Amino acid sequence: MVLRYISKRIIELIPILLVISILVFLFVHLIPGNPARLVAGKQATFQEVQSVAEELGLNEPIWKQYLSYMGGLFQGDLGTSLKTGRSVTDVIVSRFMPTFWLTIWSMAWSAVIGLLIGVVSATNRNKWQDFSGMFGAVSGISMPAFWLGLLLIQLFSVKLGWLPVGGNDSWQSYVLPAITLGTTVAAVIARFTRSSLMDTLKDDFVRTGRAKGLSERKVVWGHALRNAMIPIITMSGLQFGFLLGGSIVVEVVFSWPGLGSLLIDSISFRDYPVIQAELLLFALEFMLINLIVDLLYGIFNPRIRFD
Amino acid sequence: MLKKKGIYTLFAGLMILGLLLAGCSNESSGNESSQDAPAKKGNDLTVAVDANFISMDPHDTNDTLSGSAQRTMFQGLFGFGKDMEVVPVLAKDYKVNDDGTVYTFHLKEGITFHDGAPFNAEAVKVNIDRLANPDNHLKRHSLFAMVDSTEAVDEYTVKINLKKPFGAFINNLAHPAGRIISPKALKKYGDEVARNPVGTGPFKFKEWVPGDHLTVAKYDDYWEEDYPKVDKITFEPTPENGSRVAKLQTGAADFIYPVPPEQAKKIDGKNGIEVKAEPSIVVQYLAMNNRKEPFNDVKVRKAINLAINKEAFIKVVKSGFAKPLDSVIAPKTAFYSGQEVYKYNLEKAKQLLKEAGYADGFKTTVWGENNSTSMKGMQFIQQQLAEIGVEVEIVPMETGTMSEKIWSAKPNETELEMYYGGWSPSTGDADWGIRPLLGGKEAFPPQSYNTAYYSNDKVNELISKALLTADPKEREKYYAEMQKIIWDDAPWAFLSVDYTISGKKDYLKGVYLLPDGSLSTHDAKIEQ
Repeated sequence: MVLRYISKRIIELIPILLVISILVFLFVHLIPGNPARLVAGKQATFQEVQSVAEELGLNEPIWKQYLSYMGGLFQGDLGTSLKTGRSVTDVIVSRFMPTFWLTIWSMAWSAVIGLLIGVVSATNRNKWQDFSGMFGAVSGISMPAFWLGLLLIQLFSVKLGWLPVGGNDSWQSYVLPAITLGTTVAAVIARFTRSSLMDTLKDDFVRTGRAKGLSERKVVWGHALRNAMIPIITMSGLQFGFLLGGSIVVEVVFSWPGLGSLLIDSISFRDYPVIQAELLLFALEFMLINLIVDLLYGIFNPRIRFD
Repeated sequence: MLKKKGIYTLFAGLMILGLLLAGCSNESSGNESSQDAPAKKGNDLTVAVDANFISMDPHDTNDTLSGSAQRTMFQGLFGFGKDMEVVPVLAKDYKVNDDGTVYTFHLKEGITFHDGAPFNAEAVKVNIDRLANPDNHLKRHSLFAMVDSTEAVDEYTVKINLKKPFGAFINNLAHPAGRIISPKALKKYGDEVARNPVGTGPFKFKEWVPGDHLTVAKYDDYWEEDYPKVDKITFEPTPENGSRVAKLQTGAADFIYPVPPEQAKKIDGKNGIEVKAEPSIVVQYLAMNNRKEPFNDVKVRKAINLAINKEAFIKVVKSGFAKPLDSVIAPKTAFYSGQEVYKYNLEKAKQLLKEAGYADGFKTTVWGENNSTSMKGMQFIQQQLAEIGVEVEIVPMETGTMSEKIWSAKPNETELEMYYGGWSPSTGDADWGIRPLLGGKEAFPPQSYNTAYYSNDKVNELISKALLTADPKEREKYYAEMQKIIWDDAPWAFLSVDYTISGKKDYLKGVYLLPDGSLSTHDAKIEQ
C-alpha cells in the first residue's frame, strides 16, 4: 500500500520537474549579464569574449540552447560549468554532501531543542519558563545568521580557541555552522510546538486522559504531543527544505564547500548550467521532503490513509 | 499581564546582551600586546584568500588569484620581481633583431617538469604555439596573437617570430599567461590540464577540492638550490572578510589577503600579526563620457577633477590605504611618468564650470558596482560634486548587470555618463594600462574598456608608435608625452593608486604581494 503510494508520488514528480526545468532555464537566461564576458574576465578583449561565447555555444539562439540542454538532461547530463569547464554533475556531487550533513546536524539539534522548549513553554504557560523560552525563540528568529556566525567565530575560535573558523575536515568544524544554521529553525519549531501543543491540551481527549488518572507526563508526551505533531512536522519539513537550499549565508561565513556557496559563486559568474542544476536539485529536494512529511503524518496519526 | 511579560522580556534581553558583550569585550579592550599565539608547528603554510580558484591552466586564466596559486607550480621564461620589474626565470638571456620582430631566447639547462619531462626549446615551442593559435579559444590568446611562428633552433635556443613589432612583448612573456606547461601533461590531459597542472616550479600539485582548498607540495628535484623552504602550501578560499581575519587570528592561516582596510589597524601587532600595506598598480578613476554633454567640454572635466579632494577621498573611502593618482597609470607600471596633481580648489572649479556655461551646475549619473567599497566611493563623489552644484545620481549595479549595460550599447547609444572603476594592467606595462582604457575608438565598448569614450588623435598615434618599437628609450619618450596629453585632457577624474593589504604571522618570512595583487611564496620560510 505504502510502496504503491510512494511510487505513484515519485512518478508524479516527473512532469512537475519538466515544467520546472523550463521555467528555470528561461529564468536563468533572463538574468541580465553576458556570461561570456564574465567568463572571459575583467580585462578580456572583444575577440576573447567572442571566442569564449563561441566556445560555450552562447551565440546560438535560445531555443537551440534549450534543446541541447534538455537533450543532455534526458541523458542525465547536466552540462559543463561555463566558469571552470568541469562537468556540472561532478561539481554538484562534490558539493552536495557537505551541505547535506550540515543540514542534517542543524536539523537534528534544532528539532530536539525546539521541541523541548516548545513543550516546556506550553506546559508552563505564562510562567518564567514560557517567557524565557519564547524570548529565546524570538531572538533566534530575528538574529541574522550572518551576524550570529561571526559572533560565534569571534567567541569560540578567536577568543577561546575551541573550534575551527572554517573548513569541514573534522566533527569540530560542524559545530559552529550547525548552531548558526539551526538557530532560526529551533526558534520556529519552538513557537510552533508551543502553540500547537496548547491547542491540543484544550482538546477533549486530554481532559478524558486526565480524568482517567493518567500522569501529566503521559498526557503531555504520550497523547497531546503526538496529536500536536502534524503541524510541527509540516513546519519542520519546510524548514528542512529551506536549509538544504538556503544555507548560503552560513556557508559563506564558514567557507563551507557546499551548495550554498556554490550558488553564490555561480550566480555572480552567470554560470547557467550550474545555476540550472542547483535550482532543479532544490526543487527536487523540496518535493521529496514533502513526500517524507506526508509519510510521517501516517506514523503519527494512523487515521490518515495513503491513497 | 501584558505589562509583566514586557518587563520579563526586557530583563532577559538585557541579560543575554550582557553575556554576549562579555564574550566580546576582551577584543575591544584588547591592548594586551599579544595573546601569545601558539607556536607554529611543522613547516607547512596555509594561505586564506578571498575567492575560489577558477583554473590551473595559466594560458586559460584571467583572474589574479588563480594566477597566484599557479605561480607556486609554474614558471615562465620571464617573471616579475618585487616591483613589477621583468626578471628572467627560465630564460638565460634574449636578443631582438633590429625590426623588433624576431626574438631569440637562450634557455636555462637541466630543468625538469614535475612529471619528469625535460624543459627545453621544444617545450617552449609547444606552449607558445598553443597560446598563439586562436582555435584553442584560450583566454590569454590576445597576449600572444602577434606571434607568427616559433622555432626550436636547438635544444636550448628558441626563436619567436612576430607578425609585426610589438614593444611590450617581453612583458607579455613575463605575464602569468606566459608560464610554461609540461608538454607531456598537455598531451596527456588536453583541456583537463586545468585541473592537472604540471610545471617546473618549486611546488608540485597535490590536491584541489573546489570551494575548500588547494594544496601544493615541495618538488624535490627543483632546480634552484635550497628552494623551496616550506614543505607544503594550502590555499583556503575564505570569501567572508571576518572569517578570513579570524583564521589569521587563530593561526588557522599563516597569511591572508586581502585584509579589509577597516580592520587592518585593529589587528596589526596583536596575536603575532603583522599587516603590510604597499602601493599596487591598481588605479581608481572616475571616467566621464567625453562624447556627451557636458563632459565633452574639457573645462567641465577639469572642474570635476578640481572639485574632488583626493586626500579626503583616500581617508574616507580607502581608510588611508592609497595615494593620489598622478597619471593615468600607477608609479610601479613600466614607463610611468608623473604629472602635477589637480589640487583641490572649489573656487577654480566653479569658475571653470561657469566658463563652460554651467554656472548653476548640472545633473548627471554615475555607474559603479554595488559592493560597499564602491558605494562609499560614489557617495563621496556625490557629496564632493554637490559643492559645485553638480547633482550626481548613483546607479549601483551588480557586476554582471553592469557589464551588460556598458558592453551591450553602441558608443552613440550608450547611457553611460560617469563610471566609477578600477584597473590593474596585468602585464605591468604602460601599454596595457593605457590602450584598453583610453586608446581611441578601437577601445570604445563593446570592443574594449574605454568607458570615457576618449579619443585624441595625437595620443592614438603615440600609442601605435610606442607599440611598434622594442626600444625602451623610444617607448619611454612616447609614453611620457602621451601621459602628459591625457592628463591635460582629463578624460577621467584621477582618484587614487590603491594599496595591497595583507596580514601574516610574524614567524612567516618571504611571502609578499606584488603590485599587481598577486602572491609570491617563492621565498616563503618559517622562522620560529
